Amino acid sequence: MNPISGRVWLFGDDLNTDVIHPPAFYSLDPDKVRRGLFHGYDPELQPNLEPGDVVVAGRNFGCGSSRETSIRALKLNHIGAVIAVDFARIFFRNATNNGLPCLTFDDPADLERLTTGQRVSVDPDRARLRTGDGTTIALTPPGEFVRQIWAAGGLLELLPKS
Amino acid sequence: MSGRTLSDKVIDAHTVDEHDTNLFRRVTVDAVLGHDATTALLIDDFERRGVSIWDRSRVLLANDHFSPPATAERADISNRFLAFAREQDIPNLMLDRGICHQLLVEHRLCQAGGLIVGADSHTVMAGGIGACATGMGATDILFTLATGTTWLRRPETIAVRLHGELPAQSAGRDVVLALLAVLGESGAQYRSLEFHDESTTRLGQDDRFAIANMAVEIGAKFGVFVPDEVTEDYYLQRDGEFLGTPVRPDADAVYERVIDLDLSGLDARVAKPWSPANVVPLRELEPVRITSAFLGSCASGRLSDIAAVAEELADRKVHPEVRFVVIPASVAVFQQALRAGYVETLTEAGAIVNHSSCGACGGIDKGVLGAQDVCVSSSNRNFRGRMGHWQSRTYLASPRTVARAAIRGVLAPDLYGTREDS
Ligand code: SF4
Repeated sequence: MNPISGRVWLFGDDLNTDVIHPPAFYSLDPDKVRRGLFHGYDPELQPNLEPGDVVVAGRNFGCGSSRETSIRALKLNHIGAVIAVDFARIFFRNATNNGLPCLTFDDPADLERLTTGQRVSVDPDRARLRTGDGTTIALTPPGEFVRQIWAAGGLLELLPKS
Repeated sequence: MSGRTLSDKVIDAHTVDEHDTNLFRRVTVDAVLGHDATTALLIDDFERRGVSIWDRSRVLLANDHFSPPATAERADISNRFLAFAREQDIPNLMLDRGICHQLLVEHRLCQAGGLIVGADSHTVMAGGIGACATGMGATDILFTLATGTTWLRRPETIAVRLHGELPAQSAGRDVVLALLAVLGESGAQYRSLEFHDESTTRLGQDDRFAIANMAVEIGAKFGVFVPDEVTEDYYLQRDGEFLGTPVRPDADAVYERVIDLDLSGLDARVAKPWSPANVVPLRELEPVRITSAFLGSCASGRLSDIAAVAEELADRKVHPEVRFVVIPASVAVFQQALRAGYVETLTEAGAIVNHSSCGACGGIDKGVLGAQDVCVSSSNRNFRGRMGHWQSRTYLASPRTVARAAIRGVLAPDLYGTREDS
């Protein structure tokens, strides 16, 4: 998976899917889904996103609903990766299945070293994050199975070809 | 070999192969559940890839989020979903019959010892009758529809042993809120919660569903009750026989943690905005004036929930400044409530009874909250903005507490009397 570079958007713990993507923006229309990202949390946030930006958060990121519109919204806004202390399981599966890298900090205390607006680069395969001033933060390497899904370009690419 | 937990056994029995790394296994599933809002998201990929469903008879689809649809856009999504289900000739397409999780546990596809996946996080609820059931996203579900399998990691298990005697006015909702207070929103993340009901009165089946349903609010992959005579009664009533293989844990099963919860004296609990784990005993709450009350969602809205509310509302009136919306979890439940006379009691008191569906639970349908609204709800999530406006506030409570607050117009610490006279 290609390295990602962009700015950090920092969030706290237990950020649930209704906050990531409010139900009012549930739709099959990609433009509506895209505009809904973090809309209740801060309506100014989504218009200011740039491709490659990185969402950074505390514990239990993505708890709540299984609706993949939250993943679609992140992808439609070209969020490059989500780095968190840990993830809710359905969110982690959904993101991984759709090729959006989710990685955890090797040392959760490193969360404190990141701030919103900071430029970072993330190398998912090597599980590390670098900040603009050259600091390297270790992430937990994804397992073989996750790498396999990333390499295939998503879970559905692993479906037996009929 | 050390003893296995309930979910260990169910997963072992369904394992096709073990991936050598990360403890991932490929497992077969017994049933797949889907609803309009999530299944609609997989149809494009399904068609583009020319997928065919591995076993149509094991798929249960229900339109519950948009039932009936409130906007033209949702009507289009609903139509798309229904056209898909009909083209695929899904025998268990439940058209406007209620919330998918309730329909699953009313159906023979859901059996003790089964492994079930569903395109909705509250699929865990089937654990209330001994199934290992878990929610996934649309992509995972598409993979399962095509192959009849999914990938799982064997979860560690937290055993929850329920003891004592639950006070008559308390319910499963109070039990699971008390557990949320102990474990928090991620206390069972990736874990299986295995419930052992050793209480003297035994929790009723509806209370078990409420608890299993909200296991996902604690982050759990499974929330499963060890089958006992309450479970067997349920299956006997539903199927006329016990068809499943009731899997129980070994006596020496290895648990990551054992939590003992004494139900004696467990009084009403409330989760304050905006987290289901933001739990306090009702008696310690500052009084909150409410504008809205909701009995419904897959977490409740079953017959005993409606019965408790009818008992409270009999010969009383809903407070004139409160809108009380009641949604039976399925049409079958609705019909039972009609026959029992509960619907008449509720509507006499001023409550509104809506069609069996998700309603305002996910901020989708009739009854959504405005900026000024403060709601007391028997649903499972009070996340910010979930039931409507970002400024609205939702308190989670048991059906009985919802009803008492609806009458008083205030979610008050003395709804069950003051501490001295309770
Ligand atoms: S009732 Fe609420 S929690 Fe249950 S499936 Fe519907 S929206 Fe989800």
